[in-house]
Amino acid sequence: MKEVIFTVNAEIDVPVELDSLLPKNLQDMGIEEIKKIQLPQGNKKISVDELCDVVVNENDDGDATLKVIINGSSMKLKRIGEKMDGGEIIVNGDAGMYVGAEMKSGKITVNGNAECWVGQNLKGGEIVINGNAKDYVGSAYRGDWRGMNGGKITINGNVGTEIGEYMKKGLIVINGNCKIMPGVHQNGGIIMLNGEVEGRAGGEMLKGAIVINGPLKSKLPSFEYEGIVEDPLIKLTKKDEGTQIKGAYYKYIGDFVNNKPKGQLYLSVEHNDPVY
Amino acid sequence: MEYIIKNGTVYDPTNKVDGEKMDICVKDGRIVESVSNNATVLDANNKIVMPGGVDSHSHIAGAKVNTGRTLRPEDSKKDIWNREGLRKGSGFSVPSTYKTGYQYSGMGYTTVIEAAMPPLIARHTHEEFIDLPQIDKAAMPLFGNNWMVLEYLKAGDLNMCAAYVAWLLKATRGFAIKIVNPGGTEAWGWGKNVHGLDDEIPYFGITPRDIVRGLAQVNEMLGLPHSIHVHPNNLGHPGNWETTLETMECVKDIKAKPKFGKRDTVYYNTHLQFHSYGGTSWKDCVSKGVEMAEYVNKNDHLMVDIGQITLDETTTMTADGPMEYDLHMTNGLKWANCDVELETGSGVVPFIYSPKGPVYSLQWAIGLDLFLHANSDKVILTTDHPNAGPFIRYPRVIAWLISEEYRKDWIENRVHKWAAQKSHITDTDREYTMYEIAKITRANTSKVLGLSDDRGHLGLGARADIAIYDIDPEEKNGKKIEKAFLEASYAFKDGEIVVKDGNVVKEVFGNTIYVDAKINEELEAELMKDLTVRFKKYYSVNIENYPVQEAYANQWEPINIDATEIK
Ligand SMILES: [Zn+2]
Repeated sequence: MKEVIFTVNAEIDVPVELDSLLPKNLQDMGIEEIKKIQLPQGNKKISVDELCDVVVNENDDGDATLKVIINGSSMKLKRIGEKMDGGEIIVNGDAGMYVGAEMKSGKITVNGNAECWVGQNLKGGEIVINGNAKDYVGSAYRGDWRGMNGGKITINGNVGTEIGEYMKKGLIVINGNCKIMPGVHQNGGIIMLNGEVEGRAGGEMLKGAIVINGPLKSKLPSFEYEGIVEDPLIKLTKKDEGTQIKGAYYKYIGDFVNNKPKGQLYLSVEHNDPVY
Repeated sequence: MEYIIKNGTVYDPTNKVDGEKMDICVKDGRIVESVSNNATVLDANNKIVMPGGVDSHSHIAGAKVNTGRTLRPEDSKKDIWNREGLRKGSGFSVPSTYKTGYQYSGMGYTTVIEAAMPPLIARHTHEEFIDLPQIDKAAMPLFGNNWMVLEYLKAGDLNMCAAYVAWLLKATRGFAIKIVNPGGTEAWGWGKNVHGLDDEIPYFGITPRDIVRGLAQVNEMLGLPHSIHVHPNNLGHPGNWETTLETMECVKDIKAKPKFGKRDTVYYNTHLQFHSYGGTSWKDCVSKGVEMAEYVNKNDHLMVDIGQITLDETTTMTADGPMEYDLHMTNGLKWANCDVELETGSGVVPFIYSPKGPVYSLQWAIGLDLFLHANSDKVILTTDHPNAGPFIRYPRVIAWLISEEYRKDWIENRVHKWAAQKSHITDTDREYTMYEIAKITRANTSKVLGLSDDRGHLGLGARADIAIYDIDPEEKNGKKIEKAFLEASYAFKDGEIVVKDGNVVKEVFGNTIYVDAKINEELEAELMKDLTVRFKKYYSVNIENYPVQEAYANQWEPINIDATEIK
């Protein structure tokens, strides 16, 4: 396997965009070539070796995956893994805006916090943020009505507002707390929220499911109560084999501000009052 | 600067030049007989030479274009323009101003008319024109739902209506009379629409027929360079072809009397494709393209542009507010409706014309039915940019017209079977010649706009607006045709090379053309008395703050007309 390790050594003020440092792009490059890659920084460019030390490790273990490791990362490094198609990126430190945006396959792990727009319009692959993330995790690009279309995003910390906006397919798991409007305009896929949720879950959702295992502080009135379900099997389409979850839930359908909505909202019985 | 373009194969329909090998001389921005030995020589051997393209109907600046940009950041992201030495830009279907100018120029176009300007927002349109390089431009103010027009027509006072039209053209630095869904947009203010030519418009009590006829008469009384420019009622609805025919027919007896230019038509029907639907619903809808083309061929009083569907994701925008609401209800996508006080209204909705969609494929075929069955002297190539598709698809439309093989490939492999089943697109093997392409993109447009005196052709004294394309006149490969017309080998604007190999190499800022029709002083005084009251009572701006000032153009190109005989 081949491993490219970038260790940030420059003090930077203006954010740098790293979307060209994708595993596939670096596959056939030598270290000198990598060092010369020009990265956009505001209206200028900075070369990789002005930004970081580079080490390339290669061995013949028959593993074809290419791993990119970014040490000393901060919120000033934007677009890490944007449009990534295969391979793996590990970020030690924080990741700036748009980490994993439009990613098709592969895996990104951030051992720190992330800025807004984690996995914007994600198509496939997996993103794990071990710290917190800000707003719009797995959301659509501004103005677009065709959001995340596959893949999985896990945030082990807390998240901000409007996550999974216009989501069509895939899975978002939030292990910490979540601010307002998760799943706004959701149109498919599953959002699992394991901490406390501030409110307005599933506003204007049409399809898909939101599972809340902690308390939802205020539920939208435009959801219709269906009853208590035990260990529900969530089916999103007729052909869907279903996703099994464990526990007892109040089940709602919504959002009835739309015509014939099919959005499913599950609130854990343990943490929520029975509000119909 | 002097140039001699040597040995090009020239297509200049205005001067009946059909593929002759000849040299074109350029001096001081004009086409001349000969040049000195100092002239730069451009070898155009194996290339074709045409006048610069003239687009008579496109939406490139102003209120709803800007609403489209605001409404669709995702369209901006789709196409980023970032070329060394040029202004950055973005937008696929609603590109930003500079990008619009660069891309038109790259295709060899040199004059483009913005087809709808809400008078109240004229200043905004002209502000965008200032930032729209490479081309000459003009804008057509909307008159078909304007309260003053409706009231003067209701009173049967054509003279006052003419005075108002002249004043508004001058005040907004407008170019021609645009009519969109006559009466319908006003009815939309009452939550209604009008469908037939004889439906009554709420409150005013007159009909679309009264508006179209009245404004056509006013147009000829004033002797404007262009005729009335009409988007009839019922756009986009199955069965609308009858309304369209009625509208065309209703001005047949009016005679063209331009005081400037050489048009002989009194009526221009824009985006005819959207108005040529048979049947009663989308289930039984069929193409009436052939019938419409036959009508156009038979009648001398009109010209049409097509509004060819290009099967792209685009942004629809029109002063036909109720139609846009219908569209939004059909596709469920986001929308905006703008109400422009007592003058007009408009709507904007994103739209995806998927080639897999039966209706969209049929719409595509209807446009081609029109092109393939119409006399090439009577039709004009447009996509009603961006409504039926972005203008950067003109080269693809040209490829569909020139190459039957390419068209067939689309019919057989790319579009839904409805295209062939419900149209006559496969009944003909007609292929447009380069000469005909030059007609529908240059000669016809400049003539119908009244601008053929010095543009749209390569005769002596014409502006040296020239396009050179690297293509064999007999080429049938669709992709090659498309590339050649998308990336002009050279484009000249006013005698300077502005494009080389499809890239803008020089930034120039063109003229803004407008009509200044002088009216009788007493009549004008009477009009101003009327208007002052109205502005006080109804408008959010003062009449003094309404006219577009001198500073709102890089360079004005007025067309002066004397209409003082109207009393
Ligand atoms: Zn139009």
